[in-house]
Amino acid sequence: MADPAVGSPRTESAIRVDATSKSFERGVRAVDAVNLEVGAGEFFTLLGPSGCGKTTLLRLLAGLEQPDSGRITIGGQVMDGVPPHRRSVNTVFQSYALFPHRNVRRNIGFGLEMRGIDAGEIDERTQRMAELIGIDGLLDREVAQLSGGQRQRVALARALINEPDVLLLDEPLSALDADLRGRLQLELKRLQRRLGMTFVFVTHDQEEAMVMSDRMAVLDAGRIVQVGTPDAIYEAPAALFVARFMGHQNFVPIHARDATGVETPLGRLEGAFGAGDHLLLRPETIRLDDEAQTVPNCFEATVEERLYRGETTEYRLACGGLRLLASRANRGQPEHRVGETIRVGVSPHGTATVSD
Amino acid sequence: MTGRSLALALRGFWYLLLVFLYAPLAVVVFYSFNAINSSARFAGFSLTWYEQLFSNDAIIGALLNTVALALTSSLIAIVIGGMLGYGFYRYRLRRLSWLIWLIYLPMVMPDIIFGIAEMIFFIAIDERLGILGPGLGTMIIAHVTFQVPFVALLVNARLLALDPQLFEASQDLYASPWQRARFFLLPVLSPAIVSSFLLALTLSIDDFVISFFTAGPESTTLPIYIWSAIKKGVTPEVNAIATLMIGSVFFMALISLVVQRRPSASSTTNRSASS
Repeated sequence: MADPAVGSPRTESAIRVDATSKSFERGVRAVDAVNLEVGAGEFFTLLGPSGCGKTTLLRLLAGLEQPDSGRITIGGQVMDGVPPHRRSVNTVFQSYALFPHRNVRRNIGFGLEMRGIDAGEIDERTQRMAELIGIDGLLDREVAQLSGGQRQRVALARALINEPDVLLLDEPLSALDADLRGRLQLELKRLQRRLGMTFVFVTHDQEEAMVMSDRMAVLDAGRIVQVGTPDAIYEAPAALFVARFMGHQNFVPIHARDATGVETPLGRLEGAFGAGDHLLLRPETIRLDDEAQTVPNCFEATVEERLYRGETTEYRLACGGLRLLASRANRGQPEHRVGETIRVGVSPHGTATVSD
Repeated sequence: MTGRSLALALRGFWYLLLVFLYAPLAVVVFYSFNAINSSARFAGFSLTWYEQLFSNDAIIGALLNTVALALTSSLIAIVIGGMLGYGFYRYRLRRLSWLIWLIYLPMVMPDIIFGIAEMIFFIAIDERLGILGPGLGTMIIAHVTFQVPFVALLVNARLLALDPQLFEASQDLYASPWQRARFFLLPVLSPAIVSSFLLALTLSIDDFVISFFTAGPESTTLPIYIWSAIKKGVTPEVNAIATLMIGSVFFMALISLVVQRRPSASSTTNRSASS
C-alpha cells in the first residue's frame, strides 16, 4: 500500500488533516486515522464507494461533525471545537438545501446577512455573483419555481458569495441528468480556476473525479488508499481496490517471475514488469490480429462477446481461464465473430502491475 | 349495479352527508334572523336578536371572557407547544417517543374526566396555598394544557417535512444559534405556528366541558352562557350567539387554509424539482 503522504500539494496548504478519526454509535469507524493535505487553490476530490467515509470527512471539514481524535487545520487555523458558523468554509449540499421561505436573491444573501454586512453591499455582491454564475434572471423567483440545474447554481452562488477559504461540494451533480451534469462539470472547473478558490469535491463517480480534479484521494472503509493526480492514480493504482474502482477490468495474476519475464495463466510473458502481483492490462493496449505480432508476447484467445461502440469495438476474450477485455479503435480492420479464435498481443511497455 | 348508478349513489351519499353536517347549522343561522321568537315559523328578516344580544351585559361579559381566555391561552400554548414540537424534533433520535405519547394522551382523554380532574387539582392547590381560585386564571391553565399537544403536533409535523440539510445549511452560512432561530426556524415554522394558533383559538372558544369545571362565578364564557340560557328554552338570542361563533370559526379555518397554501409553506423540500 502506498504511503498516504505521497502526493503533497504544490502550494501552501489550505487544509491539513492529521490522524483524524470519527466513529458513529454502532462502532463503525467512518473516518479512520486520515492524513491529508490540500493546497490553496486546488480542485481536490474525495472519491470512493458509498460508505467509504468521504462524506463524513467533508462534514468534519465543515464542522457539522466533530472528530473523535486528530486535528484539522483550515487556512492555518486549528479547528478544534470551532462550530460550523465560525468557519470560513461553505458547503454546496447534495439536496442543495435552499431555504423555502426565501426567494433566490435572499437565499444567496443569507450568509452575508448573518455576518452583518449592510444591505447595499449584499445587493451589489448578490448581483455580481448571480451574473458570474449566470442566474441573474432568476433572482426574484421562488425556490419552488426552479429546475434542478437552477437550484444547483443558486446553491453554488449562495456558498461562493461568502468568499470562503474552502468550498466543500457534497456530490452536487448527482441528482442531475447526464447531459446537464457534463456541462456543469465544465462550468464548475472553469469557475474554480477563475476564482482560484480551494474546492473539495465529493463524488462516487470516478469519471467525474478524473475530469475535474487537480488531485484526488481514493477512500475505502474510512481510510485513504491513494492520493495523487488523476492520471497517476489511473495509470499506477496503489491497490487492486483502486484499480477496480478506477474502472480497470483486466487483472492477470503473476505466479512467478525471473529476470526476463513473468509466469501467468496466459503463459510466459517476456519483459520487465513492475513488482506487483497482478498485471494490469489496459483494454486499449491489448493488440489484436496482425498487430499482435508487433509486440513481444503473443497468444491465442476466443471471442466471447463483441460490443460495437462506434469509435471503438470491444472484445470480451477468454484465454488461459481468464476473461480479458480488449478495445480497438475502428479503422476498417476485419471484424471477428463470437467463437472465433484470434491472436492477442501484450507489450510490457505501459503495462502496470498492482498488489492487493 | 352498474358503474354509472354506483357513481350516482355515491354522489347522493355525499350530498346526504353534507346535509347532516350543515343543515343544523344552517337552521340556527336562519332563525337567528327571524323577526319573531320562534324556531318553527319564519316571519321575516330582522336583526332584533342581534340588537338584544349586544345590549345584554351578561352576554357582552361572556363574549369578552371568551375572547380574553382564547387569546391568552392560545398565545401561551403556541410558545410552550412550539418549543415542545421543536424539542421532539431536535432529540428525535434519542428514543423519546414514549414521552411524545405521554404528551399526546390528553388529546384523546374524555373532556369530562380531564375537566373534573383539573377542577379537583385546582381546588386542592387553592385550599393549601390560597392561589388558583376558580376563575379566568384556572381556565387559562386548563385550556393551555389541551391546546399544547395540538400545537406541538403541528410544529413537529412541519419540522419533519423539512429537508434536514436546511438546518446544516443555516449553520454553514454563519448563522449563530440565535440567528438560526430568528432567520430560519421561525420563518419556516410560521405557517405551522399561525395555523396552530388559530386551531388553539377555536379549541378554546368551542370548549364547554373543561371550561365548565374550571370556571369561577365571574368567568362565564359564551358556551357556558348558552348552556345556562337554554335551560330556559332556546331563544333566537342563542341562535344569534351561535351564528356569531359559527362565523368566527369559519373565518379562522379560512385563514388557516390560506396560510397553509402560501408558496413558502408548500415547498418543504428541495427535491420537488420541476425542470
